[in-house]
Amino acid sequence: MSKNGSEAQPVDVSVVVPLYNEEESVQLLYERITEALTPMGRPYEILFVNDGSRDRTVEIAAGLASRDPHLKVIDFRGNYGQTPAMAAGIDHARGRFIVTMDGDLQNDPADIPVMVAELTGEYDMVVGWRKNRQDKLITRKVPSWIANRLIGKVTGVPIKDNGCSLKVYRASVIKKVPLYSEMHRFIPAMASIAGARVREVAVRHHARQFGQSKYGLSRVYKVLLDLLAIKMITGFAQRPLVWFGVLALPFMLLSVVFFVAAMLPLFATGDAFSLPLAGTAVLLAALVFFLLMGGALGELIYTMGDMDMSRYSGITAVTFTEHGADVTACPAGSSMRREH
Amino acid sequence: MHEPTLDVSAIVPVGSRRDDVPTLLEEYAEGLRQAEISFEIIVVLDGPCGGLTAQLAPLAASNAWLRLIELSRDFGESAALTVGFGEARGRAILTLPAYYQVVPGELGKLIAAGQETDMAIAVRWPRAGSGLEGWRRNAFHGLLGFITGQRYRDLGCGVRLMKREVADEIPLYGERHRFYPTLARSRGFEVDEVEVRQSPNDDFRGRYRTREYLHRMLDILTLFFLVRFTKKPLRFFGTIGFVVGALGIVFLAILVMQRLFFDVGLADRPALLLSSLMIVLGVQMFALGLIGELVIFTHARELKEYVVRRVIGGEITIIEGAGAADETPEQPFPASR
Repeated sequence: MSKNGSEAQPVDVSVVVPLYNEEESVQLLYERITEALTPMGRPYEILFVNDGSRDRTVEIAAGLASRDPHLKVIDFRGNYGQTPAMAAGIDHARGRFIVTMDGDLQNDPADIPVMVAELTGEYDMVVGWRKNRQDKLITRKVPSWIANRLIGKVTGVPIKDNGCSLKVYRASVIKKVPLYSEMHRFIPAMASIAGARVREVAVRHHARQFGQSKYGLSRVYKVLLDLLAIKMITGFAQRPLVWFGVLALPFMLLSVVFFVAAMLPLFATGDAFSLPLAGTAVLLAALVFFLLMGGALGELIYTMGDMDMSRYSGITAVTFTEHGADVTACPAGSSMRREH
Repeated sequence: MHEPTLDVSAIVPVGSRRDDVPTLLEEYAEGLRQAEISFEIIVVLDGPCGGLTAQLAPLAASNAWLRLIELSRDFGESAALTVGFGEARGRAILTLPAYYQVVPGELGKLIAAGQETDMAIAVRWPRAGSGLEGWRRNAFHGLLGFITGQRYRDLGCGVRLMKREVADEIPLYGERHRFYPTLARSRGFEVDEVEVRQSPNDDFRGRYRTREYLHRMLDILTLFFLVRFTKKPLRFFGTIGFVVGALGIVFLAILVMQRLFFDVGLADRPALLLSSLMIVLGVQMFALGLIGELVIFTHARELKEYVVRRVIGGEITIIEGAGAADETPEQPFPASR
């Protein structure tokens, strides 16, 4: 399938960078990325997505774009957030490999060539791991360590560093992963729906040079709720009734326990049964009923929606033909041969 | 929608609250003529208005700038506006109330301001009315500002000028027309307020009853949800569910402690019912949030959360069809049916 190799592909690597109020870094960022990509000798493009910056970010970026055809600037009408910015960059990207990174220069573009090289037949995405993270210990590193352990446990994609934006994807995979709300943190988990194989590579990390960090501690709680949503979506979107059934099970047991406790005195001692206990039992039974009905509603929603998860597996599938294995998405020559 | 051929299409939805519409239309037309633009006025009668239709029909027949649309029944102001948007031939759309709110001669100010921004909304100022009314208005807008993070001074004013894209992009239904500026700004449009003199005939006394307040409160709740949580329902329902459920659990824990250590029997405590009710409610909230997430996920293909103003540069040679991601056609997600 990919017989033509990279010569026929005008763009091989697309670098997507969301920018929000980064006027000090834009120039330097552009230079660093260009320096990193030029020696690779592969056709590349850089996509700067201006997420409604209020400073001169877009003017500076547009100035750079007018001199270098490799650079494309996507200017948003308003500020929509990091995930939509990444989604826009990914939608516009024409490369076979898509790199995403932060615009604050904390990621080092010099890591890109290594990561792209790692993305061979075996893997569908390579994620960065900030081994020596240059951030405050208490407010950034500790919560992040806990969050990463938790995310790994819950999603079943054990990655040491989910927060690192520097990632490389096969375009065929990432273009099909639904990106909405604040899902960029969970791309590996979402991609795992499609069976994406993930490789982790240690990357450099620099202390912030300009401006303030745009995130704080308050996001921890949001991440927890998002995580719960992801867990349900990745695990149970196809069978919500099962998920709700599992949720209902402990309440059903509790309900039975309360019911027995309420009825016991009636048979044992002949006393009147306890109204609060019986009431609680009925209440819990009602909850079980509600949850099961909710699951049924979920089945209806999934059926009516247009996200057919059973097709996802095809994105990363390897096709074996008489000529040997052919990984749908990888360049000719490197398919299925283990190079590392 | 029609090809835009005019500068401004003014849409006047006519509902149950209306003043002398024919006179008002003449005044609006005069105000727009003073602004030296090409315009049309589309009157949408929300349900048969009997005498008014008979009055306006000859006017529409003799004036090219006036068009009249009559809906078969009362659909509400949002529906009337949507019909008007569909008929509009202007590059900009101006909504006007069918009753006196602003001095029609001041419309030029709004149109001038509309050149600079995506949406220009009128603020009636200086404002007539008692101090109590002013206070009430401030409280309403303050609460709204607190909840949505956007501060406006006069959302009750129906005089709004917007670019066509705004009307194309943000669907109107239910009571959403009231909060159109809020919805527009949360979609990334620029919204500016313009001070316009209040019409001396503007009369809203007796219109704010208890039921009206209740509706406004529910509107605020709707808006809160729409602006902040449309795409992350679990954050909304989950938070409420967590708070209620946690309270219930704490309550229950206290009861169990008392049973274990102070020998207060659980069986004869109605408080047990209350605490378990709260836990049940919390779990239900969570379940609703999860169903919401499922709705969003299964429709993620249609969600496009951003609007690109322009794309600059990137003119490298591209062979059409070869540059897209691999061999697969460029579509965001696998098609199902």
